[in-house]
Amino acid sequence: MQRNQVLFLVKFFGVLLAAYLLIAWSPVNDHVIVPFTRAIATSSGALLNAIGQKVTVQDTTISSSRFGVNINNGCNGVEAMLILLASIAAFPASMRARGAGLLLGAIVVQVLNAIRIVTLYLLGAYHPRLFDLFHTAVWQIVIILAAIGFFLLWSARVAPSRLANRA
Amino acid sequence: MPQADWRTALRVIAGFLAGLAIWILLTPLYDRVIAAGAQATMRLFEKPKVTRLEPGADQYVTVDRADFDPRSKRPDIPLRDLTFNIVLLTALFAASKRPFSDRNIGGFLISLVVLALTHVLGTIVEVMSIYVAKLGMWSTVHYTAFDRNVWGVANHFYRLVLMYAIAFALWWIFRDPATAAAAPAAKAAKKKKKR
Repeated sequence: MQRNQVLFLVKFFGVLLAAYLLIAWSPVNDHVIVPFTRAIATSSGALLNAIGQKVTVQDTTISSSRFGVNINNGCNGVEAMLILLASIAAFPASMRARGAGLLLGAIVVQVLNAIRIVTLYLLGAYHPRLFDLFHTAVWQIVIILAAIGFFLLWSARVAPSRLANRA
Repeated sequence: MPQADWRTALRVIAGFLAGLAIWILLTPLYDRVIAAGAQATMRLFEKPKVTRLEPGADQYVTVDRADFDPRSKRPDIPLRDLTFNIVLLTALFAASKRPFSDRNIGGFLISLVVLALTHVLGTIVEVMSIYVAKLGMWSTVHYTAFDRNVWGVANHFYRLVLMYAIAFALWWIFRDPATAAAAPAAKAAKKKKKR
């Protein structure tokens, strides 16, 4: 393994652990993560109502007479955003490129996450036997793959320009 | 998006579906292997050796201890929640331009072995997080608040992000760099060094 690969992984896991500890810290969890998750529940509930599902949103729970989902950590896209943050922070690039990558990547992750919540609700309401598989494995992996895919595209794009700027 | 990237996307989707199918089919057998590995590892550090992990037919592993009250309910853990990052690993290795090259297959197999070891560790952390916090008075008597924090945080960290990060890191280490998706960056860095 090359030295820069080792360095990338050390930085990646270091940033990942630091970011995790930050979001797991009660004040950050209560004042940032929980309101953020509530906003995701509200927007996903609005999407479901827009497609004719009569749902109500209370705190982080979306429910109707058919089914209910409670959005927790692990379902709010924060896990994919942490992977994205750690990989972008560990990759050598300018702060501007990192900022742009993080912003765009977070938007991609959250758009996908809204689709995840809507489809999981619909699966739970109309095909409950499939809910567990899609909740546990399918959507979780799709969101993480999207974050990694975004990072790879971003890194392939910023690496040559970074080298050109230095030359 | 260039045409080559659509091909990569198709390979990733194929790898994802293949990984998902294999994971679903092999989970009952794989759960037994991981439970046996976790039980054997935990017993190395126990005096007396009391932990028993018994896979059930419902994809749950029952956590039992020889010193538990026989009348008390045994906790269950869904091992599949700790092992589905196999699907992520398969999809990532499938992204290679030559997914069936010796180097890619070799890297994938080595990664699978390492990933299985992390599944054993993940299971131990899950069991410990039950011991320290979820068994009422028994937990309070046998473990400290510090134990509860350490095992609780370790378990949550593994489940929330570490299990994905491990799969990503294994792919990053063992992928074939010549055919991986981030090859342009590596090539540019090499050119710069030569200059």
